Formats: sequence, structure tokens, C-alpha cells
Amino acid sequence: MNLDEIKYSLKNLAKRKLRSGLSILSILIGITAIFALVSFGLGIQLYMDTLAEEAGADKLYVQPKGAGMPGMDENFFLTQDDIDFVAKINGVKDITGAYFRAGELRFKKEVTYYFVFGMDLNELEFFMEGFNIDIIKGRGLKKGDMNKLVLGYNYQFEDKIFKRALKVGDKVELNGADFEVVGFYSEVGNPADDAQIYITLEAFEELYPEYIDQFGFVLLSAEKGVNPTELADKITDKLRKHRGEEEGKETFFVQSFEDIIKTFGDIINVLNGVLILIALISLIVASVNIMNTMYTAVLERTKEIGIMKAVGARNENILFIFVFESGMLGMLGGIIGVLLGYVVASIGGAVAAGAGYSLLQPAFPWYLIVGCILFSLMVGAGSGFLPAIRASKQKPVDSLRYE
Amino acid sequence: MFTDYFRIAFRSLANRRLRTYLTMIGIFIGIAAVVSLIGLGQGLRVAITSQFGILGTDILSVQASGVTFGGPPGSGAITPLTSDLADKIERINGVDIAFARYIDTGTLEFNDIQVIGFAASIPHGDERKVIEKMLNLKTEQGRLLRDDDTKAVLLGHDFTKDDMFGRGISSNDKVLIDGIQFRVVGIIEKKGSFMFDQGVFMNERTMIDILETDEDEVDVIAVKVKDEKQIEAVQERIENLLRKERDVDVGEEDFVVQSPQAMLESLDSTLFAIQLFITIIALISLLVGGIGIMNTMYTAVLERTKEIGIMKSIGARNSAIFALFFIESGFLGMVGGGVGILLGLTFAYGLAAIGRLALGSDLIQASIGFDLIFGALLFSFVLGTIFGVLPAVRASKLNPVDSLRQAK
Repeated sequence: MNLDEIKYSLKNLAKRKLRSGLSILSILIGITAIFALVSFGLGIQLYMDTLAEEAGADKLYVQPKGAGMPGMDENFFLTQDDIDFVAKINGVKDITGAYFRAGELRFKKEVTYYFVFGMDLNELEFFMEGFNIDIIKGRGLKKGDMNKLVLGYNYQFEDKIFKRALKVGDKVELNGADFEVVGFYSEVGNPADDAQIYITLEAFEELYPEYIDQFGFVLLSAEKGVNPTELADKITDKLRKHRGEEEGKETFFVQSFEDIIKTFGDIINVLNGVLILIALISLIVASVNIMNTMYTAVLERTKEIGIMKAVGARNENILFIFVFESGMLGMLGGIIGVLLGYVVASIGGAVAAGAGYSLLQPAFPWYLIVGCILFSLMVGAGSGFLPAIRASKQKPVDSLRYE
Repeated sequence: MFTDYFRIAFRSLANRRLRTYLTMIGIFIGIAAVVSLIGLGQGLRVAITSQFGILGTDILSVQASGVTFGGPPGSGAITPLTSDLADKIERINGVDIAFARYIDTGTLEFNDIQVIGFAASIPHGDERKVIEKMLNLKTEQGRLLRDDDTKAVLLGHDFTKDDMFGRGISSNDKVLIDGIQFRVVGIIEKKGSFMFDQGVFMNERTMIDILETDEDEVDVIAVKVKDEKQIEAVQERIENLLRKERDVDVGEEDFVVQSPQAMLESLDSTLFAIQLFITIIALISLLVGGIGIMNTMYTAVLERTKEIGIMKSIGARNSAIFALFFIESGFLGMVGGGVGILLGLTFAYGLAAIGRLALGSDLIQASIGFDLIFGALLFSFVLGTIFGVLPAVRASKLNPVDSLRQAK
């Protein structure tokens, strides 16, 4: 490997600008797609990591089983007695139960249907910590707030939920009863959670008298040093006995926050993996294209190869020249592909945020950028390998004779 | 004359065999990917939409509005439909029959194993005959429900399999529903739809009297119209009645009247969007294959500069040269496409079969119609010609004198 060989390769690429350009184009398209897809996968991973850190890996949920969405099935629920029982189990630090039902919200002739949370004000701080939400406008709920509610993030904007934006002090109707908006929670990052409606436990009981003492959702945290997964097993065991249920026939389940995030992450990874696999097909095609270009180059330069060999070039020198050439094609494609991928992913992220999925944001760590360029370089060099071997094995005498 | 074009085009392709093959490989990988993905997506869409059994152009369903995800119809409703509404709807002009349907959740226990799921009600009397016909209910074991059945249940085909309770249920077995003993009177024949195959059906009175389902919280009202051509007018009449009954204005409805087709369409459009996204990613590889054709053709033009010069100097017109290269690139595209379709068919059906074995789900199906095959073939030909146009134009515009001189 020396400078002359590199210079010679680059000169050849420059001489066949159109062909080099088309080969680079074919590889950069695939790299663009892969870079953009992986950046979204990594972005979601990052989001979940921060969520686990901020909301805390020490959190656990107890929810009733049921058909359909947990907590929504009115035949299965948890009671205050269950909550008090779990609170006394060793290793449980904070605990709060929440009511959880579908609600009908009206604002100036418009109507929408979302979930209503009834929150226990004694444990409000803990509830907000568990959901990773804060009051960003107005105030939170206080003792005695019977006809006041706090809304999810998206209600503050036009055309997200209602045509008109809501503000603190607006009057709305929840299930036909008059309520006043006193505040808004911060953004969670998905349209369902950002459309939720929050009221006090007492207001909920007045609004849904038939569901008193039927909790859909219990949030708790483990004491420091207690393994959440082990605590989950312990709670399952004890609560089953307390509720008089047989093993395997529980009508509730306990899940640690970590498990939920892991399940969610696994699903996302599989989906993203499938998309990346499909995008990889285009790289195979690009690699065939590069191979084609390089075979043509070898054919065209048969005589040149003969001359080089005649003046003392060794097989390795010829091999290196052609592998280097195709590797350069790959690397240039990779660099441009990464740049384009960055643009595509950024636009995609902005579109997702506009649609309410601000958790779908791309991440661009350095190893993704370097990895994509290196990968592209390897695809290029790899595809050039067979043509380069053919070139290096040519007999100088035959090559010189070739016309 | 015209056959000459083809002869020359094929000969030059045959002369550069390696390059021709590599170019076609590029196309057929792309076509195979697109065909198999569209085929699998199509199959999945058909399988999923066929899960929703009640189809018919003379049926409407009425539901109270609410949160529509996370549960069966009616479960997220705020102001449920009342049971008197079914009778009132039935009296509307153009309505043949209307009846309330209840869907409730509970536990079902057999062989000491318990599952949680849904049960649906079957109305009594004449309405029973209508719904049995509407749902096309037939049993593979035992019999359908009768008016005098209490604590009796009709189960779907999946309950006969061993995997749910360790041993299959057959008719006349006893099961516990919410802890109460029920007799299985029959098993519905396999329909390939979860609404039936995993269905639990019981008489309306059993559900209300024994399982204590609230009679005044109807989940769905099913309506059969007399004349399917009048369905839109009847729908409007039902909406008017409900607005009056529930005291809401136009635009503020807290209920939905729709046909099963309309519900399916909204589901199908979501599935279609997902399929489209995947297809677009697969199309990238076809685009790359097209660039490969362009590259090959430019190289061919360059190599045959002298040949073109000679042809032109003995009288070939620009259009003839253009046609020559155009046919060549179109052929590359179409043959690549043909092989790609065969490969795509193998892939789609093979993957679907493997998927069914691995996941044990009948949902994974491939569906490839003639329209897809023909479309893919046409598309690959068009792709070949589009990416061949620029090189062919360059070839046709070569100046004969220059081309003769330029060649080595």
C-alpha cells in the first residue's frame, strides 16, 4: 500500500465521474434509510432510559386483570382494603390508588372521550413522580376541589383535541357536570397520555358513584435496596391469599416499571429490526451495482493492468488498487448517506412531534455516524473484492494483448 | 426491421453476460422484496379484516360514544344505551328488526384452569332466529341455544383445543363461569374469526339473571333494515330518534350509528398505511436496481460508441439507435422482474407457512393476485425503460463523425 496506488485509484474514480456517481448514489440511498431508521430506534431507547431514571426503576404497578385494557373492565378491580393491605407489606415504601374510567369532556359544543383519573391528594406528589408529570400552567388540585380539573398537555393547543385551545379558568363539562380548568400537566409524549383528565378522588366518586372503591390502578414504590421484581412476586403471593384467590387464578397482576419498559422496548426493537432488514435489501442491490461497476473497470483497464504488471506491479498491488477504489465508492456513499439520513430523520422527528408523538425522536450518537460510514466502506470494499481478484490474477502477457 | 432491433439488443446483452446478470440480479432482488412484502401485507389485511364476522349490507349497529380502544364495543361508553331503545328503533319505518346485545366480561374455568374473557348474549324468540342467520351460526357438536336454556353456554371452536385448558372442551362438559356451573350445549363450527372461534355465547336472560349483567346498559343494538337500498335513509331516521331520546343537538351526538363495513374500512385504512410504509422502504431497493440499469446502459453506450458511429454512417436514424438501447434496458428490467416475481412468490408463501408453524396463528397469510403479478412485471419493465431513457438519448445523439474518431 503506498501513496501512488491511492492516487491512481482516486484518479480513476474521477475519470469515470458518471459511473462513480451512480454507484455512490446507489449505496447512499440504502445508508440514508438505515441511518434514519436506526436513529429512531436509538432515540426511543434513550427516551425509555431517561424515563426509567426519572420516573424511577423502583416503581411497581398493581392492576386488575380483565378482558381488554387493564383497569377498564368493571367486573375486575382493586379495593381500598387491598391497597391498605399491600401498603403494610415489607419493602413497600409509598403507595397510592387511582380511579380510572372513560369520560366525556365537553367544551363549547365540542365533545371528546378520554380517560379520567381520580387522584388521591395525600399521595399526589408520588402519583406525579410515577407518571413523570408536573404542573406547567395554573395550579395542581387541592383538598376540596370538587369541580376543578387538571388537563393533559395537549388541551392547551388548537386543533389537537378541541378546535379551540383551552386555558386556565375555562369552563368545561365532564360527564355532564360543570368543571373549571385549574391547570395543565407537562408533556408525556404520546397522544393518549397527553389527553388525560385529572380530578380528585372525591370528585371522581361523585361523578361515578357506581365505581366507588373500585380502583383500576395502584402505583407503589419499593424501599431502597429492595429488588422490585422480587417485591412484585411477594405482593402477588400475599395479595392473592388476602383476596382469597387460588394460584394461577389471580384476577390482578403486579408489574415493575422496569418490566413494562423492557416489554415495550423489545417490541420496538423487533419492529425497527424488521424495517432495517428491509432497508438492508437495498444495500445488497447497491453492492451488486458496485461489483458490476468494478468488473467493468477491470475489463476496461485490462491493458493498463498488463502494463503495470509488466513494469513490476505485484498481484497485491493490483488487488489493493481495485479494493481501495470500490471501498472509496462505499465510503463516499456512506458519508453522503449519513448527511441525508440526518436530514430525513430530523424531518421525520418534527412530523412525529407535530402529530403528538414527541417520544419518537431520533438520536445521533457518534457511534451511529461512524458505524454507518464504516459499514458502507466495508460493503464497498467487499463488493469490489471479487473483481479485484480477477484483475490481480490476470496474466500480463494476455492482458497486454487484449484489445 | 423491428425484429432486427430485438436481435441486436439481445446479442449485445449476451455478449456482456456477467454485467447483464448482475444488473438483473439488482432488479430481481428489489422486485422479490416488493412482491413478497405486498403479498404478505395483503394477506394479513384480508385475514385481520375477515376476523370481524358480521358482514351484510342490510345491517347497522348502534353504540354509545366513548373511548373506543381498550375494550369490546360498549365498554368505554359514558351514557350507555337503554334497553327500551331497541324496541323504539324497531318501530322506525324501514327497520325489519332491532335487538339489544350485551357483552360482558368474566372468568371461565375448566380443568382447574381459569381464563378471563368476554361473553356475548343471544336474544330470545324470533330475534334468535334472525341473529343465528345473521351470524350464520352452526354447530359442529351438540346444538344451538334454545329459549328454555338457563346456565347453558355455546362455545367457539378454539375451546376444543387442548392448549387453552390442558384438555379440550366438548359439548355436555361442565364449565364454571364467574364460579357458577354452566353446561356446554354445543360447539360452533370453525370460522377462522376470533369473534366466533373464541366466542362464549349465552342466552340474554341467563346473562342478566344469573351473571347480573345490567339490563339497562346495552352495549350494541343490532339493526336489520328491510331494504338495503334504503339503509342510508333508515340510518338517518335512527339518528333522529336517538337525538330526541338522548336530548342532544346535531353535531353533539353521544352515539354512533354505522354499518359493519364502515367500521372495517377505518381499520383497514390503518393497516393500509402500515403496509404502504413498508412497501416504500422496499421500493428503495428497486430504485437502487434501477440506478444499476442506468449505470450498465451508460457503460454500454460508451463501449459501443464506435458501433453506433458505424450504424449511423450507413444510415441508421437517431430513433433507431434510441430504440436499440431502450429495448435493451426494458428487457433487463422485465426479465429481472419476471425472476423477481417467482422468487417473491416463493418467499411470501414460504415465509407465511413458516410463520404459521412458528406462531401457530392463522393470521399469517400471503395473498398474491394476478393484478400484483402483472403490476410488478409492468413496473419492472417501466423501471428498466425509465432508467434507460437517458443513456439511450445520449447514444442516439452521438455525432457519427466524432464517434468513429473517438473510439480507440
